[in-house]
Amino acid sequence: MESLHPRIRLLWIAQAAILAIILGIVLAAIDPWLLEIPTVAQVGVVIVGIALGLAYAVRLYQVWQFELQPDALYLERGVITFVETAVPFVRVQHVDTQFGPIERALGLSSVVVYTAGSRNADVRIPGLTPDRARELQDTLRDLAVESEADDAV
Amino acid sequence: MAPTMNRLHPLSAVTYALQYGFLWLWIPVVLLLVLAGAFDPISGAWVPFAAPFGFLAGVAYGIAYYYRFGYEITSDTVDVSSGVFARRSREIPYGRIQNVDIRQGVLQRLLNLAIVSIETAGGGASEATLNFVSEAEATRLQREIRRRTAAARERRRAEKKGTTGGVDTDTEAETETETETENEVDDAASDADADTSSAPTDASRQPDSRERRDQHDLWDHPLESGPDPADEPDAEPAAEAGLETDHDRLGPQPVDAVDDDEYDTFDEFDDGDGFDEHADRDDRNEFDEFGHPQKQPLFDLQARELLLYSFTSIRAAAVAGVLFVFFLGTDLVFDYLLTVAQPVGGPEDLGTGTPTNYGILTIVSLLNGIVITYVLSVAYTFATYYDFRLGRVDEDFVYERGLLQRYSGSIPAEKVQSVTVTDNPLQRLIGYAGLWVETAGYGPESNGGSQSAVPLAEKARVYTFTENLTGVETPKFEQLPKLARRRYLARYSIIAGVIVAIAFGITQVTVLERWYLAAIVFAAVPPAAHLRYVNLGYYVGEDHLVVRRGFWKRQTTVIPYYRIQTVSTRRSIFQRRLGLASLVIDTASSRTMVRGTPTIYDEELGDARDVHGECRERLQTALRKRAESDDLGVSVDFT
Repeated sequence: MESLHPRIRLLWIAQAAILAIILGIVLAAIDPWLLEIPTVAQVGVVIVGIALGLAYAVRLYQVWQFELQPDALYLERGVITFVETAVPFVRVQHVDTQFGPIERALGLSSVVVYTAGSRNADVRIPGLTPDRARELQDTLRDLAVESEADDAV
Repeated sequence: MAPTMNRLHPLSAVTYALQYGFLWLWIPVVLLLVLAGAFDPISGAWVPFAAPFGFLAGVAYGIAYYYRFGYEITSDTVDVSSGVFARRSREIPYGRIQNVDIRQGVLQRLLNLAIVSIETAGGGASEATLNFVSEAEATRLQREIRRRTAAARERRRAEKKGTTGGVDTDTEAETETETETENEVDDAASDADADTSSAPTDASRQPDSRERRDQHDLWDHPLESGPDPADEPDAEPAAEAGLETDHDRLGPQPVDAVDDDEYDTFDEFDDGDGFDEHADRDDRNEFDEFGHPQKQPLFDLQARELLLYSFTSIRAAAVAGVLFVFFLGTDLVFDYLLTVAQPVGGPEDLGTGTPTNYGILTIVSLLNGIVITYVLSVAYTFATYYDFRLGRVDEDFVYERGLLQRYSGSIPAEKVQSVTVTDNPLQRLIGYAGLWVETAGYGPESNGGSQSAVPLAEKARVYTFTENLTGVETPKFEQLPKLARRRYLARYSIIAGVIVAIAFGITQVTVLERWYLAAIVFAAVPPAAHLRYVNLGYYVGEDHLVVRRGFWKRQTTVIPYYRIQTVSTRRSIFQRRLGLASLVIDTASSRTMVRGTPTIYDEELGDARDVHGECRERLQTALRKRAESDDLGVSVDFT
């Protein structure tokens, strides 16, 4: 089983921090005219948010694993709900590599695997080095072409 | 636009013109009102002069849209080009078309017009909508597209045969005509693989009626539980009687007698001897001078079934409709409710009255709401499924239905992703169920790519249909571990607790008292948990996975392994504590977006992982098998 790049934790922590800070700003905005929120509570919410994000990121990194098995791409992930997914190569419609602004800053990219299944079943593997992402994309593409089925939808 | 392209019906120019006219009318009006607010020299009084300009511009645009819209049926694709300023040309390959639907509203039926929509698996909407063409043109389009799709399919098969081995022309001619032949091909294929696997399948296809019924009981009883004491014994004779009438109907009525050879003939001179008046009516359209296959009836919804279906199903649309009317005419609705409630002790008006008055008003209003919703729902279902008929043409299912608004459509059998048997508690009580086929397209209604193949029929028949259609053996449902039931008990207790807490909250801020009366909801917890539990089940079959879930709208989905897209084992923190897991089997069926992906809930982790592995393995085996044979996956002659 392959793990993600350790730097992915920074990305997740950054995302959680941004969320917590936005929440803090919202609280600060409604403070004067909707209801009184003590400054301590505001700062507390932000700190707790960041701390939770930190714990979540560390745990998620520990459980996130993937593997190329003989017939399928296999992934394990999830903190609250642990999910083991198998995406048979025959079912791969196309494969993307993507990177967002924070990912780019961290030198990471993601591989997104699309199937014809329902929307939320599209699979994203984050936290790969750009080289590894491209390599994975090529491998998956080759495997998908190799095992192409003609009963596509 | 290429000169050969077809235009829509001239009357659509009129509707487009009016549509855009009334839409664009508002542009100068809104613009004027906004500008008048900002700048002094501009006055809102100019509106009466500006509005006609907007209307005229809209009319011009609508007419231009009509002239710039063209469609064409070429040898490989359906081409549609549209757009007044920004042009879009779209080519849809026949091999990718999921279904072709024709829709006719009341006015359109009077004017002999129809809307044709072509669906593929991609995108969130119809790929092409021809709004609208003449009725004759719509039928021609549907048939033409169907025919060419079939031709493309044949070509593909021939190519495949060419690459895999010699072409047996004899078999090829036969595979497109008869299911019997398909079965033979099936059997030959599976014979080669494993003799044992084909034998039980054969047996389940043509058992005698009693054996059949006994087997069908398996559809309703989980394997481990044995005979369920909850199932009242008097239901058995009813089912038997139902089956007997089946056989009566199988005799004289051609609708159910599709097995007879005469309906399988493709003889161009067969002008429908032995068909009833339905078939004669169909002949008008379906007769083809080139000797192409005619439409053969598979299932007609009888008056009794239509009425039962209408009275036993509740439509979400009816609920939405009632709510809409309520918000639209709140005052009128209140007046009506007050008038109705007054004779039985309701208040004089909303302002005055004792708590008892209000209590009566509330109860009367609720009853009113329920009755009206139900009546609407019955009427809606009746109008939607009036004169429902399902037939087959070659390897496509074709259906039509509707009282005021007519729908008709065709679904290629090879595009069927999964098949679902649905029933609600009322339908289970009278021993009926419905059958739906799911594709990856988007239907004319919001129900995704799901089409009703048999809206409602006796459950024994529906199960037989399901078995014939998919070739699945009679499932022996696995019951989930008892731990699952405990989980639901806990879950529903929490919900009940929340309800009581809310009741407590309400008593704190209103005049209402005795919040603890709300604790009565706890009485519903054990039966609710039990009912959810007993309606869950799954069966790992030879070529299919069968998943059952739901109490209010129970769905039993038959998924061929070769249709599986992804498999996931999910465990929430609660499930991990109990060592349970849910298995999510994703297919390309677009219905999953509305109804949720087929899921085996709360199986023991080890078993869930086993099924997970099994699904993957059998997907690969099935794909290899299918590569070798021309298996359609489903059998079109299923009734």
